[in-house]
Amino acid sequence: MSFDTVAVIGGGPAGLRAAHGVAEIGGKVLLLEQRDFLGGTPIAERYAGLTPHGEPARPQIEAMIAAVTAHQDVDVRTGTVMTAVDGEPGAFTLTLRGQEGEQRAECGAIIIATGFSHFDPGRETQMYGYYEFPDVITLSDLEGMLSDHQVVRPSNGQPPQRVCFIQCVGSRDRHIGNEYCSKVCCGVASKEAIEVRQLLPDSKVYIFYIDMRMYGYWENQIYWPAQEKHHVQYVKGIISEVLGKGDRLLVRGEDTTMGRPMELEMDLVVLSVGMEASPGTRQTAVMCGAAQNKYGFVDAVGSPLDTVSTSRDGVFACGAALGPADLEDSVSSGAAAAMKAFAFLRSRAAAAAG
Amino acid sequence: MPIGGRKVPPRAVELESATVASPISGREVELPAMWNRMFEPRVLTETGPDGFEPISALPGGESLEWCYGCGKCVPVCPVDLVGEYGPRKLHRKVQTGIDLLTDDDLWLCTTCGNCLRVCPKEVDMIQIMPAVREAALTQGAPVPSELQDVFEKTFRYGNALGENARRRAQWTRGAGVPVRLLPSDPSPVDVLFYVEDYWSYHPRGQQAAQAFARVATALGVDFAILGHEEKTVGDSQRLAGEQGLFDSLVEDVTATLAKYEFARIVTPDPHAFNALVKEYPKRGHEFDVLHYTQLLSPLAGQITWARELNLRVTFHDPCYLGRHNGEYDAPRTLINAIPGVELVEMGRCRENGYCCGGGGGGMWLDGFAKNHAAERLSERRVREAAATGANVLVVCCPYEVSRFEDAAKSTGNDQLVVKDIIELIDEAMGLAT
Repeated sequence: MSFDTVAVIGGGPAGLRAAHGVAEIGGKVLLLEQRDFLGGTPIAERYAGLTPHGEPARPQIEAMIAAVTAHQDVDVRTGTVMTAVDGEPGAFTLTLRGQEGEQRAECGAIIIATGFSHFDPGRETQMYGYYEFPDVITLSDLEGMLSDHQVVRPSNGQPPQRVCFIQCVGSRDRHIGNEYCSKVCCGVASKEAIEVRQLLPDSKVYIFYIDMRMYGYWENQIYWPAQEKHHVQYVKGIISEVLGKGDRLLVRGEDTTMGRPMELEMDLVVLSVGMEASPGTRQTAVMCGAAQNKYGFVDAVGSPLDTVSTSRDGVFACGAALGPADLEDSVSSGAAAAMKAFAFLRSRAAAAAG
Repeated sequence: MPIGGRKVPPRAVELESATVASPISGREVELPAMWNRMFEPRVLTETGPDGFEPISALPGGESLEWCYGCGKCVPVCPVDLVGEYGPRKLHRKVQTGIDLLTDDDLWLCTTCGNCLRVCPKEVDMIQIMPAVREAALTQGAPVPSELQDVFEKTFRYGNALGENARRRAQWTRGAGVPVRLLPSDPSPVDVLFYVEDYWSYHPRGQQAAQAFARVATALGVDFAILGHEEKTVGDSQRLAGEQGLFDSLVEDVTATLAKYEFARIVTPDPHAFNALVKEYPKRGHEFDVLHYTQLLSPLAGQITWARELNLRVTFHDPCYLGRHNGEYDAPRTLINAIPGVELVEMGRCRENGYCCGGGGGGMWLDGFAKNHAAERLSERRVREAAATGANVLVVCCPYEVSRFEDAAKSTGNDQLVVKDIIELIDEAMGLAT
C-alpha cells in the first residue's frame, strides 16, 4: 500500500518552499502548521528586512504563502499539531490535533520543516543582563522595532545614541552546549546595524565580534557596505559583561587588536542570539523516528552530498530543522526535500504497480 | 565621563624610555618602555567613528576606515619592522580616538606601497597620507621642523637641498664629456635628461650624473639638460603633504618644458618618474617618460665593455620604480649585462622590496623618525644586503646612495660599497675618470 500525499510539517520559509515544490511537480501536499498563520519565524517575530538584501520581510513571505494557499493540491491546516506518526514509509498515518479536535491523515512521505528557536539569552553564562536591563535586547527584538520604524531605548522611549551588537550569544560555547556557529547572526546583525544607521543617522553603531563570519556574497553584500558606507564600527573582541552605569549601560570586554581592556558606554545593547532546535523540531523528529544530533537538530545522514534525507526512509528534513540556516539555505533545502520526497513516492508507487 | 577618569588617547608608539612622576612622592623616575606602559592608563574608554569622519571627508582619505583588521599589512610595513607603526594599527588607533592630524604617526609612513600591495580592502595609504598631511598643513597642525625646512627650501630655490639654481649644472664640469644645456642651445633634442635634485647637487649624486653623461654619450644618445631652469618635479613634497607647493611646481616645470622640443624625458629619479607618469597627466601634461634604466636596458647589447668588474652585488628595488610603477627588469637587465658582475637577490626584492625610508618625505624626516624606531629603515636594509655576502649594494634611485652609505657605516658594514648601476656601467666601459 502506498499513499500519494507528502506531509510537510511546518509552514515557515522552508516548509512553504517544500510544499510549493511538491505541488509544482504534481504531488499532493498536506501542510501542517502549529501556529494560526503561515510564514514561520519571519512573520511570528516580525522581521523587518530579509537578509541579505533587506527587502521588506512581510510582503516577500506573504507572496510565498499566497503561492502555496492558492495551489489546489495543497491542503493547508494551520493551528494544527501532529501528535503521532504510525505506519511505515510510503504509508504513514498521522494523528493531528487542531481546532476540529483529533483527526487522522495519511501520507506516503514526511518533510520535517519545523525550524529553530532563538537562543534564550537568560541561559547565557556571560553577564549580559537580558532580563535585568530593559535596554538589553536581542536581534529579533530589534527586528520588531525596525518593522515599526522606531528604534528606541525600551527604558525611556528615547532613540539611542550608541548601539552595540554582541555576537555569538549562545553559540560557539561549550558551557552552553552549543559548540556550533549559528551562521546567520553576523549577517543579520550587520544588516540590522545598517538599518539602525539609516533610521538614526546620528547614532554610533558597534559590532563586537570573535570573528566575522560573512560567508559568500554576504561579505560584499552586507559586511563591506556596513563598514565602508554606513560607518558601522567593527571591534574584534567580545563583551564579557554588561553593567548598569547611571541610566546607560557599560559594556566591558577586551579590544584584542590593541591588547587592552575596554569599557564603553551604550544606550542599547543587542544580543546576537543564535539558533537552537525548536521544540517542534525535537518532538517531530522523535515522532518520525528520524535521528537527531546532540543539539536536537535532525541529522542529515547523507551529508554533505544529500542534505535532506534522514535516518528514516520516507522522512526528509529541510531548513533550520537541520541546523542553523539562513533563508537561502532554507528554501534551497526545502526545494531539495520536495524533490526527494516526491521521487520517493514515485518509486513506491512504481514498486506497488509491479 | 568614562569609567576610570580622564579620557587619555591610547598611545601605542612609545619612546625607548620615559620619565614618570610617582603619584606618591612626586619624584620623577626614568622607566624603560615596557614598565612605562604599565603606568599608563590601559583601559580604552572610547572607540567610534568620530576619528574617521574628518579623514573620510578628504578626497583620498576615504579608505582608512575600510580596514577589517586582517593584519596582512603590518608584517610587510617597513616601519613596523623597526618600530610600532603599521597601517592596521593606525586604523585601530584612529578608531580608538587619536587625532591623526596631530599625531606623530602621520609622518612615519614612507608611502612605499607595500601595504596596499597586500591589502584585500584596498586601504590606500598612498592616497590617505598626502591627503591627511595636506589637511594637517592647512590647519596649522605641527609639522616636523626638518620637513618644514625642506618645504621652504623647495619653495624658495626649486630644490629640496636649498641650493642655488645657478649651480644646477655644475656637475657637468666634471663629466669629461660635453653636456648640452637647453637654455643656451635650444635646438630640438631626443632625450631631455631631467637630472633632479640629488644627482644635480649631492656629491655622490653628481658622480652618478657624470657617469650617466659619459655612458649616454658613448652610446650616441642625443640628450640635453635644462640646467639652471630645472626645478624639482616635487613628488616627494606632494606625498609629504605639500599639495600647493606641488601644484605650483607643476606649473613651473611644465612652463619650462614647453619652451623646448624633445621626444622624451629621461630621469634617474623614480620619484620624478612617478609624478611625470601619474600626476602630471592628471593636470593635462602628458609626456613620454623613461627611467634612465629603461632608456639604457634596450641598448645593453650594444655596449662595448672594457673590463670585468669581478663583483658580487645585490640590488635594492626603488619603491617608486618597482612597486609603484612595475619596473623590476630594466635595472636587472643592466646589472646582468655588466661583465664580471654576479647578482644575488635579497630576500625582500621586487614586489616585496624593502623601503630605504626615503619616500613620501621620509628623506627629510630621519631625525623625527629616529624617535619612533629602533633603527633606520636604511640600516635595516643594509644589514639585509650585507647578509647576502655582496661587496656592492647597487641602487638606481638618487635618494639611496647617501642613505645607504650612512647606514653601512652606522651598522659596521663598511665593507659594503654602495653604487648606482650607472657607476658600475661607467667603470666597466672604462669611461670613469
